[in-house]
Amino acid sequence: MMQKQPKPILLFNDECAVCRHIGHWVQRSAQGKSDETSIIVQPIGDDPEKLRSLNPDLDIWDAYETIHILMPDRSMRLGGEAVAEVLRDLPNTKWFAGSFAISIFGFRPFQVMLNVAYAILADVRPLFGCESCGKPRVWLRPVEWLTKWAKTLFGERPHPSAHFSSLSAASRGR
Amino acid sequence: MINETLQHPRNTSVRPTSSEKIQTVTAITFTRSVLEAEGPIVVEFMSYGCAHCREIEPVLEQVAKMVEPREKIFRVNIAVEQELAASYQIQGTPTLVMFLNHNEVGRVEGPSPAVSSVLTAVTQPFESQSETK
Repeated sequence: MMQKQPKPILLFNDECAVCRHIGHWVQRSAQGKSDETSIIVQPIGDDPEKLRSLNPDLDIWDAYETIHILMPDRSMRLGGEAVAEVLRDLPNTKWFAGSFAISIFGFRPFQVMLNVAYAILADVRPLFGCESCGKPRVWLRPVEWLTKWAKTLFGERPHPSAHFSSLSAASRGR
Repeated sequence: MINETLQHPRNTSVRPTSSEKIQTVTAITFTRSVLEAEGPIVVEFMSYGCAHCREIEPVLEQVAKMVEPREKIFRVNIAVEQELAASYQIQGTPTLVMFLNHNEVGRVEGPSPAVSSVLTAVTQPFESQSETK
């Protein structure tokens, strides 16, 4: 059954240190000085059915892949659009967030810039130890190799499979 | 890059979440579904927050269709079933553990997300068992 949702819900990846820090910052900013919060911030969690109760179209794998914000009208915004929505809802940032809606012949330059910024941030997350964020993209592979090589100097042995997230590494990210 | 607003139901058929072939087992159902079951059983120890599990999910789903009804594949969410994962000394995800007639006969950590590698991973331990008999 669909739950009543009076405010936007921002879902963040609690297993990713970068995402967790951003999630907590949004939570603090949304709260402001009052007890009333403009946006609900919650971790994605581990229960696909619980997520589907928020929105039947919400897929837990997709939620971990890209930032999602669930709107009170039951729509979802993803990626850079979700970031823009968050900035529109925060008291400290809504003054400039209106710029993301500026459209010149259907082209939204500020939104495009935000989308690119989000894509870059999403790409670099694995370099900050986020194993749940996937493999770094090709342009970041040399940095990944250097990081791995540097870790071996400190005695850390990488797992032989490149398709494996070790539990020890995941707990270090917390 | 995914930037979109979803106003309408999305087609999620590309990556099924509630798998038709792979069922989730919990600590409560593990004994009955895995340890007490007859025949080859594969258990994927996974986590939804694990990108490699996300990558392997559609592949494993495909393999599950290929190996049925000879083999059954189950999933254990280690973020929820931490004690179960600890009891099988799971070091990370995804880990495929193969059971035959109540006993572990093999395991593979982080198989390559290709149908051929996963298929080999989930069939070879059982084939070598039958060869030794």
